[in-house]
Amino acid sequence: MSSENQYVQKNAGYLRGYTRSRNSGAPAWWMQRITGLALVVLTVGHYILMHYNPTSGHDYGETAARLASPWFKGVYLGFITIGMYHGLNGVWNIIRDFKMKSMWGQTLFGLLVVAGLVFIAVGWNTILTFDPLKP
Amino acid sequence: MAYTPNREPLGAWNRLITKYRMHSGSVAYLLQRITGIGLIVYLFVHIWALSSLTKGHAAFAEEMKTFSTPPFKFVEWALGTLVMFHAFNGIRIAVVDLANGAKYHKKLLAGVWIAGIAVVIGMFCLIFSTELFAK
Repeated sequence: MSSENQYVQKNAGYLRGYTRSRNSGAPAWWMQRITGLALVVLTVGHYILMHYNPTSGHDYGETAARLASPWFKGVYLGFITIGMYHGLNGVWNIIRDFKMKSMWGQTLFGLLVVAGLVFIAVGWNTILTFDPLKP
Repeated sequence: MAYTPNREPLGAWNRLITKYRMHSGSVAYLLQRITGIGLIVYLFVHIWALSSLTKGHAAFAEEMKTFSTPPFKFVEWALGTLVMFHAFNGIRIAVVDLANGAKYHKKLLAGVWIAGIAVVIGMFCLIFSTELFAK
């Protein structure tokens, strides 16, 4: 009994970071499953589109033809966003396995958010500003 | 007595690797995380590399010439193995969490390995089709 209490007193600083979370983590847990199942569907489609013949994923003309469709563009904007969210939420789950002072946890969380937003922006920019006529 | 988790530096992974018995499920748990880290690293590289689409036809074709050489094809296939394990095991996780999969999760895991290996062999034939099935 006493050793547990001593443990809590000694580590009150970082335990606080875990116990005073604003939510239980359940919404993120649900989102990880839902986005994961969506990504299975999207990734199967992506693999078929990119590999049904040797050039389909590597040829500029075929890429341009796909990007001419607004439906394709819309799905891929979602694909980038969902993939980034699922991946970085997964990294955050792994980070939370480790004993970490809450300052470190918050710093890494911030880095993940910034990296995610920057690369979502890069991906959206590629799709939205693509010009098939550029030489 | 309040539950106080025994957190050591690198505690979770240390326990997993050194103290847990390596049942098929704990191996799948570790592989899910390791493949996940690999995939998010690849997603960053993938989004960055494909931003060359905005630089026009010549720049993109030049880049794809590099990516169509055998070493890159091999990396592409190896990446497919990560994707297939992560996707199939992810379906298993969803079935265990959201349906009644806990009662037959070992059978599901056997299915994950069989389906994963079959698809990965198929992917190898598809990606290396020009080398394997030369006229």
